[in-house]
Amino acid sequence: MIIDCDVHHNQRNKDDWLNYLREPYKSEVARYGLRQLASGIRYEEGGNRWDLVPPSGLSPGGDPDFVREQLLDRYGTRFALLSGYTGPVAGMPDPDYVHAVCQAFNDFSLDVWCRADERFKIGLQVPATQDPQLAAREIERLGEHPGVIAVCIAGTASRIPFGQRYYWPLYEAAERYNLPLHFHPSTTSVLAGLGTTPAGMANTYLEMHTCLPQFYMAYLASFIFEGVFERFPGLRVAFVEGGVTWLPHLLWRMDKEFKALRQQAPYLKRLPSEYIKDHVRLTTQPIEEPKKAEHLVQLFNMIDGDEVLMYASDYPHFDFDEPTALPRQLGETTLRRILHDNACAFFNLPAAPAGEAMK
Amino acid sequence: MAWTVAARRNEITEGKPKITVVNGKEIGVFHEGGAYYAVLNYCPHFGAPVCLGKVMGRIIASGPDSLDYDNDHKTLRCPWHHWEFDLATGAALAPIRQRLKTYPVAVEGDNILVDI
Repeated sequence: MIIDCDVHHNQRNKDDWLNYLREPYKSEVARYGLRQLASGIRYEEGGNRWDLVPPSGLSPGGDPDFVREQLLDRYGTRFALLSGYTGPVAGMPDPDYVHAVCQAFNDFSLDVWCRADERFKIGLQVPATQDPQLAAREIERLGEHPGVIAVCIAGTASRIPFGQRYYWPLYEAAERYNLPLHFHPSTTSVLAGLGTTPAGMANTYLEMHTCLPQFYMAYLASFIFEGVFERFPGLRVAFVEGGVTWLPHLLWRMDKEFKALRQQAPYLKRLPSEYIKDHVRLTTQPIEEPKKAEHLVQLFNMIDGDEVLMYASDYPHFDFDEPTALPRQLGETTLRRILHDNACAFFNLPAAPAGEAMK
Repeated sequence: MAWTVAARRNEITEGKPKITVVNGKEIGVFHEGGAYYAVLNYCPHFGAPVCLGKVMGRIIASGPDSLDYDNDHKTLRCPWHHWEFDLATGAALAPIRQRLKTYPVAVEGDNILVDI
């Protein structure tokens, strides 16, 4: 049994979901197309796997029937968290435009995908960086829908670190509706932030994609040191598509620094590393592939991976991980937790029916 | 090893290999740039059906500031993670040991034979 924390659903045909867009943006987009913000780097074939064009001729990731067959049925997936794509909104200026685009995409996702199969769940798209109060309104609009299990935030496109009070109206709403935050890299649309890497504008997708965890390291430090988890004790945060092996370094460094510089975050009641189990999860994809699998197992142990990690496939993207990408040496119990149980609890999903065989 | 008919010439065009089972092995038979190639349909990385990938040339460089494109040596790229392999030898283009299994190919009249 699998819970897949990152599946990218798409429109069925070009601009399909734009039928859900409200005016005046519907007319604007019909005439001029979606607003564009790009990184200027090459990425190949849209970043998708090449064996995923559905027989129906719809877009990769755009045919609910095909995704059901190729992903849910094939791998025994109980739930798939649909995270869409961040291109139309990540880093964009104009909160009203982004809010409207997010609303249209959310309505499309619930209407087309959640109706197609109850195993499809969505993370709400919201104008997180543009206007956290508008983002909170979107959570209030749809947060109780049974198809909604998270709030998606296009990471790597912020001007302000994510722990700061600017975002707290969004976090207050997410906590109130018991919806975890789902941070996902915004791939090519990161111009509005510091650059495609924290160091600036990379020349290649290769370099940009390699450096994604550096953003997450900065975000997690911001969440901890700004006291977000003291202010919002029910808030939970998942960092998606950043891999996992960066975490031990960050935890140890945060703890070491805090012991000397506690006065700069005096509201913390625990060591920084001790907030992780209650509030933070990482998804495994793209899982690091050291030459010796045992090294990965050792790193998992350093961060209590059986509690803080959750499986994600990133279907249909090129860096897709099958469930078998996780090293078998982790053992059956740990694998079951990472592949299913941890996400089941984190996203508050119904427990597996009693007696259902664990695979 | 035995030479076995794997395909007819008119079954394969550029960009459209024939995927077939020969002596219990699923292989792809390619016709690219005037030459025929046969490759086991299994990527050594995670077992993906590598022959459903794309055949292309390759970007080469004699140094960081001198890129060029080599379209003579055909590259097969896996549909999943886009790893690159030399279609003729099966060797990966990255400096790693994993490689594709390739088979000798011969043409006799309209038949394409593979030594498996």
